[in-house]
Amino acid sequence: MTAARVNEVEDLVIKAQHGDRNAFSELVHRHSQGVINVIYRLCGDSQLAEDAAQEAFIHAWLKLSTYQLHTSLRNWLYRIAINIAIDALRKEKHLASVELSERMAAPEPTPEGMLTSRERAIWIQKAVLTLPPACRAVLVLREYEELSYQEIASTLNIPIGTVMSRLNYARNLLRANLKTQLFNYVEVENV
Amino acid sequence: MSEQHITQWVNTYLDGELSSHLVRLVETHLVECQACREEFKSLRQLSGILQEAPLPEQISPERFASQVALRLPPRPVTPIRNKALEVGWWLVPIGLMALLILIQVTFAFSDWISTGIDLGFISNTAGWALFNSSQAAQFTSALGQFGLLGGSSLEWATWSESLTRTIFSQITWQVSIAMLYLSWMVIWWARQKRQVPGQPLEAGSQPTVES
Repeated sequence: MTAARVNEVEDLVIKAQHGDRNAFSELVHRHSQGVINVIYRLCGDSQLAEDAAQEAFIHAWLKLSTYQLHTSLRNWLYRIAINIAIDALRKEKHLASVELSERMAAPEPTPEGMLTSRERAIWIQKAVLTLPPACRAVLVLREYEELSYQEIASTLNIPIGTVMSRLNYARNLLRANLKTQLFNYVEVENV
Repeated sequence: MSEQHITQWVNTYLDGELSSHLVRLVETHLVECQACREEFKSLRQLSGILQEAPLPEQISPERFASQVALRLPPRPVTPIRNKALEVGWWLVPIGLMALLILIQVTFAFSDWISTGIDLGFISNTAGWALFNSSQAAQFTSALGQFGLLGGSSLEWATWSESLTRTIFSQITWQVSIAMLYLSWMVIWWARQKRQVPGQPLEAGSQPTVES
């Protein structure tokens, strides 16, 4: 991000901290996609992601005075969003088993081992969602948002060592879950 | 490095988080070790596979921002007032620590004066610096005058009363300050918990999935 853009964002934050709703709306406009994406990757439900993202921005508005300038606003918003998403998932826990079985029954691989791209996407998403939330959050921030270990650590308020171990655990678990369905397929494709 | 596998570094290497020195070592090792090369290939493949999961069609940022704007509640506290409160809030533990130090120094000073007087290094005119030295003695001397105490028991009573009074007041001060400090810490912890919503991420939750 350029210095001019950083100053622009900080100006907007200062204005929003003094109650300027238009300035805050501009910040929402700039960060909404990122926040919705992170929550969607965590929960796998677009409606839930949108609702939780709205909650996250409302919470950010109320707590904007605690945001420290010169730190990453995006990471601060991600932190709020991830915590709200995890809470939302807990509240919707009773729906989870039904939705998983009814809406997301994983496709059975054909004898040829070939899956359509949609089926592959479903397998991947399902595998990601079976990860423990703490590991999932680290994986999403690294793989989809491409945050550095340091940024993930400060976003989730955990040590870098924990980021590395959670990422390692998440990747190993994913490889184990996806191995039969997708890795073999990729190998077939590559031949 | 070439004799053993470096699987613990492969993730970090893949993410570009290794120092340049370790990058060279890992790259050299990957050329020589097939198992680690396979591990690296598999992790890279996984990253590629993960990108296949698409994002759903999303609401436009303009529409989302207006939806949020409609739901924005009024601000509970103005930032300036909040800042002043924040400064005052952090002054509480500093003030308590300063008070504790002041009390400790005062008691220590009083003890030194008392010892100095006892040993004859300091004249009795410094007695003003002692904690209620005269008042402490008055009660026991009154008991002595009424014949309730006498001889060694009078001396013992005077000494123990003085000691108890000093120690008791010292302990009372310290406990009071400790309790105030503890209360501040509890409130601080509760505020910290409230600042960012949600619970720690460790607890499991079953996700929902959209087809």
